[in-house]
Amino acid sequence: MKDTPEMFWTGLSPDEARKALVNKDKSMRDKTMTLKEAVDTFIHDGDNVGIGGFVDIRQPVAITHEMIRHGFKDLTLSFQSAGMAPDYLGAAMMIDPDHFSIKRLELAYWAHEAFGLAPMFRYLTERGLVEVEDWSNANMSSRFKAGAIGLPFIPTRGPIAGDVARSNRTKIIDCPFTHRPIALLPASNPDVAIIHVNAADKYGNCIIRGSECTCPEISMASAHTIVTCEQLLSHETITSLPKDIAIPFLGVDAVIEVPYGAYPGACRRSYYYSKEHIADLHRRTSVMCKTGSKDELQAYFDEYIFGVDDFSGFLDKIGVAELLKLKKLEAANCERLV
Amino acid sequence: MTVSKDYTAQEIIIVAGAKVLEDKRVVFVGTGLPMVASLLAKMTHAPNLIPVFEAGAVGPHLTVGLPVSVGDSKTFTSASYVKGLNSAFEMTQRGFADYGFIGGAEVDMYGNLNSTMIGDFPDGYQKPKIRLPGSGGASDMAASCEKTILIVPHDKRKFSAKLQYLTSPGHLDGSKDARWKAGMQGSGPYRLISTKGIFDFEEESHRMRLLQTFPGETKESIQAETGFELLFADNVTAFAPPTVEEVRLIREEIDPTGIFVKRA
Repeated sequence: MKDTPEMFWTGLSPDEARKALVNKDKSMRDKTMTLKEAVDTFIHDGDNVGIGGFVDIRQPVAITHEMIRHGFKDLTLSFQSAGMAPDYLGAAMMIDPDHFSIKRLELAYWAHEAFGLAPMFRYLTERGLVEVEDWSNANMSSRFKAGAIGLPFIPTRGPIAGDVARSNRTKIIDCPFTHRPIALLPASNPDVAIIHVNAADKYGNCIIRGSECTCPEISMASAHTIVTCEQLLSHETITSLPKDIAIPFLGVDAVIEVPYGAYPGACRRSYYYSKEHIADLHRRTSVMCKTGSKDELQAYFDEYIFGVDDFSGFLDKIGVAELLKLKKLEAANCERLV
Repeated sequence: MTVSKDYTAQEIIIVAGAKVLEDKRVVFVGTGLPMVASLLAKMTHAPNLIPVFEAGAVGPHLTVGLPVSVGDSKTFTSASYVKGLNSAFEMTQRGFADYGFIGGAEVDMYGNLNSTMIGDFPDGYQKPKIRLPGSGGASDMAASCEKTILIVPHDKRKFSAKLQYLTSPGHLDGSKDARWKAGMQGSGPYRLISTKGIFDFEEESHRMRLLQTFPGETKESIQAETGFELLFADNVTAFAPPTVEEVRLIREEIDPTGIFVKRA
């Protein structure tokens, strides 16, 4: 056995995750509520928050805005690869750590591929303001899967050699069957999952277009799940093709219809990325990284997050021309009518 | 084919990367230049190349434009199969990916890559000098694709004797069967393409070995910009510059807005 940090669970241990379901109301009931109610009810200081989507697709942006208005302390963020969701939460910590703070990150990647690095990630880590535990994309996806299928760990062949496995709680053992080394990863059972999907019914049955990312696994692994959807549809419509349901109602606690809820990231069939809006947020953040002045970043938050009541207030400021442009670009991506 | 006199360092990397890919094979494509190279291969000698992207798209024809992300909507249109990250990596772990196409900020002589941090690991892990994005799927591809193709811009600091952090495992310490003994399956780094030439990894020592030089480079000029001692193939040849048609495809058909391929 190689050296690994002492074992500990962030979020729920596998046994706690099991117990959390025993007394849960599993009935098929109306779970629609406002995003404010959902965030108030299901997210708490110190929680491990599982973030859905992948880089800048289907990031739960509207939920992060509401979390920032609310304010939270000492969150752990768990995700495979993410961009906009941790960007907003990280930037909120940069401008006012007394109002919003992240304690720990369990992640594979925080950046934006073609849209560059995440200056928030550099700011928080290079100053030692957050704990980091690096994993790979397959590692984090497998950890959520283990959590979702009720196992304490999952064997994987991922980056078994190198420094990733030395940065985290991976245990490397001799496989009892092949006698070759195999990596065991602890399950991730977040306290709460934040997920944006294409469509849902009021019970929480969700349809996802394009990649499911790791959203089904994160939802089923977490003690509670908040889902925002582009479209809230009737139960009959959503269940007309039951195999299209990526997340069943059992894995969902709150449903909120929030069109453009992943903007300025993308959502398959609905809208493409707003490269310009992402670049503007990064430029303002970089100013703070370089000069220490938070004025421009604060101004963004004051205008777009603290200065509005909810996500529709944010979209009003973005304007219909931008939203239509992104819708048209996505229609071309999908070779579909707008 | 007319040889181009007007091409950039990125464009020659793309052309070289495309040529490594064989038709009818499965390539697990990372973000950036690997996407451009895979598209160029599909448009030239490898029309039946099967790209896989880690967000889950398998075999899209990529006819709606260059994806900006391995989760881009453009990867799902015309894909044969789309689930999620677990399905893409499970297929790779099973052995369905012939090639993996990855990059990094630092590479050593055994083809190990760093895309996590610059600084002192493990002591300075929680406060790195420069924090890089992290593994993403690169270390998974490095572990489980059958062969990997590495793309690293060439300079002395990036071609480093000792990595500051080993994110994506290559041939590890170069010892015999090191990858197998560590528990990995794929055969590891197959080619490395830099801004100066094309390399493989010598069969016994697994050390980086120069195969071909790009125009304007020599064995000496490349060694001078490498932070460790290179091996040289018995017959180091000159890589033919991109053709006018290849450069046109990159600039006009594949990346007309300069998403990954910068003009300067």
